[in-house]
Amino acid sequence: MQADHAEDLASIREQARRLLQDQATPEHLKSLLNEPGSFDRVLWHHAVEQGWPSVAIPESAGGLGLGWSGLAVICEELGRLTGSLPLIGNTLAAHALIHAGSDEHQALIDSLTSGDAIATLALADPSESGLCGSSSAQVRNGRINGEKALAAFAAVADIALVQAGNERGNGLYLVRLDQPGVQRRLVEGFDNSRATALLQFIQAEVTPLGGAELLGEIGNLAALATAFEQIGGTQACLDMACDYARERRAFGQPIGGFQGIKHKLAEIYCLLEIARGCASDALDAWEQQQPTRRQLTSSARIAAIRAYNLAAQENLHVHGGMGVTWEAMPHHFYRRSRSLALELGSLAYWRERLLADLGLESATALVG
Amino acid sequence: MNHELKLYRERARAWLAEHAPRYSGQARHGLPFEDDLALARAWQAHKVQHGYGCITLPREFGGAGGSELEKVIFCEEEMRYDLPLVYFSISLNNPLPIFLRYAPDAWKQKLGPATVRGELIWCQLFSEPSAGSDLASLRLKAVPTEGGWLLSGQKVWTSWAQIADWGVVVARTDPSLPKHAGLTYFFLDMKSPGITVQPIHRLGEEKDLNEVFFDEVFVPDEQRLGEINGGFKVAVETLMIERYAVTDESGYGPTLENFVDLAGNARLNGRPALEDGEVRARIAEVFVERQGLRAIHRRALEAFARGQAPGPEGAIRKLLLGRTRQSLGAMAMDMLGANGAQLAPHGHAVTDFARAWLDPSLRIAGGTDELLLNTLAERVLGLPQDHRPDKGIPFNAAPK
Repeated sequence: MQADHAEDLASIREQARRLLQDQATPEHLKSLLNEPGSFDRVLWHHAVEQGWPSVAIPESAGGLGLGWSGLAVICEELGRLTGSLPLIGNTLAAHALIHAGSDEHQALIDSLTSGDAIATLALADPSESGLCGSSSAQVRNGRINGEKALAAFAAVADIALVQAGNERGNGLYLVRLDQPGVQRRLVEGFDNSRATALLQFIQAEVTPLGGAELLGEIGNLAALATAFEQIGGTQACLDMACDYARERRAFGQPIGGFQGIKHKLAEIYCLLEIARGCASDALDAWEQQQPTRRQLTSSARIAAIRAYNLAAQENLHVHGGMGVTWEAMPHHFYRRSRSLALELGSLAYWRERLLADLGLESATALVG
Repeated sequence: MNHELKLYRERARAWLAEHAPRYSGQARHGLPFEDDLALARAWQAHKVQHGYGCITLPREFGGAGGSELEKVIFCEEEMRYDLPLVYFSISLNNPLPIFLRYAPDAWKQKLGPATVRGELIWCQLFSEPSAGSDLASLRLKAVPTEGGWLLSGQKVWTSWAQIADWGVVVARTDPSLPKHAGLTYFFLDMKSPGITVQPIHRLGEEKDLNEVFFDEVFVPDEQRLGEINGGFKVAVETLMIERYAVTDESGYGPTLENFVDLAGNARLNGRPALEDGEVRARIAEVFVERQGLRAIHRRALEAFARGQAPGPEGAIRKLLLGRTRQSLGAMAMDMLGANGAQLAPHGHAVTDFARAWLDPSLRIAGGTDELLLNTLAERVLGLPQDHRPDKGIPFNAAPK
């Protein structure tokens, strides 16, 4: 990494931290949890002003040119405060459109990087816990039919990147969501601030963007950026739990003096450091296009899910009764840790993907 | 990592490829203890001759006058061979450097170079039956006498005391002071009258540990290292010398690749064990852990290269590797079922899962899991220290 690049990243981080501290106040975040399909328009407005949707986009396509590291830094900061913005979807949609031919799509790329348009990643199927398998959404003659599983920001998105099948297998498609063949349905969820919705397509028009390879790349990069969001969330839970454990007293001493609490928190720290190590290696591998980038991304995804699960759950526990109230913050992280673990394919899916990358094919492939 | 260090690594790797085979692997198979020890001494002397022995120690004593990072790099490369390094695992890493820091010059000249060459072996007499993690609570008594001190009491878990020529020892010189304040540090001749060394038979078959009994053992005052009653500081300094220990990335147990091979061949409910979800989840977890630890290790080396002290990386590494070595061993044995209870003849913990499982000492020696978690919680996360009812109280008045 160039030294000036590092300075840019540090300043982006600082900027993001300041903005989020100002905007993502507990009261504001709680108001978002009340309604299904909530979207933080105010925060999005500020993020757009600071150029966040264009951070990772190359300068040649009108972006800030800070690469995946730039996106990672912002995602980590978002994760620390359970902010929820469609940065990953917008960035990857722009990336896929650049890949598909930027001349043709420049107007859309511009509106994605300027934040005028919002993209959702509708990769998962309703009956599949991973991202693979035959898609129930099918494309024939340039039209798509079928459903996609609950997708973040689908409630407010203008376009969707959709995984769908065609005669030759699965591919990645662009679907404009303002057309008559698209229906979106809001559902009550435990993390309403993700602006999630179900998408149903009936003869909707699509634009093909690429095949299995692009599909894989988009899934990987989304998982990698999400890993940083999860790491930010893990760090926040750990910090919050440690602060509370130093303050709260029982039996004449701070509860942080009890090994039952100390050891729990040290275990979280270990998982956090493992997740950080995996994610930063994966990030380097993508920046340098190393052949190991796929398996490193799977590792990062697995490590991040494990770390955030434990941190969110134990943070709640360290807070005791307070931890399970609506008033206190731990439940925000508890919700978010789960929604991030479910979006983009579950732990078991990524475990099998990692093993396949390592040459230990799927269990069924071994039979016979 | 800078260019110079890359070159250093390449040179070390080439040198090892040329010289290590005569001292490792096949060369050691079936050797009796004494012969393996002799081979170890020969390898040490050979390394010293070529500038790879005691890399960080000064040249005047036979060291290579190199940097901490060069030592780490050489160790990483050296570990790829099955060399007889274990007899020096204590001697050269802690007792020798602290001795060279504190001993009178004449003593340094007399013992330093011979120790560096592997002719003399040292042990470290710290732990006692009721002073392990709580080192400062040790009781071995040192009473002043004409020209020196008389040591009485017991040490335990002393690695290689049975072959040691010299030792460093911490003893209690003033029990009326709080426990940390009344200790004094010495070096002594392990052949002194009054010393008895008794081997400890371990769970596995390793032959390293001993109990050492002291019956009015005379130690001249010139063999004191540091101030009278200032021994705890020197002891902590001794333990800090090995700032970042290079460890095998499988915790000196079989590798993940060995585990995968086994899972591919073993059968579970009539199908390859590798198809079992629990086995697959474990493989993925261990792979992810190893990947994370590699990144953490690299970060520590980069910190070294910038001249910074290493952080808590070592504690995370020891904690996770110790547990994984045991849990993978147990799961490997499970996959073998009843046959898993065998010990492979001439097997070693690095290649045999049952032997790896049979030696859980990685989770005890150098700090138990619980102690490492405390260290992380207190030093990194800033949580309060454990309750210590003996703090500040004279040793002989503190609750026992």
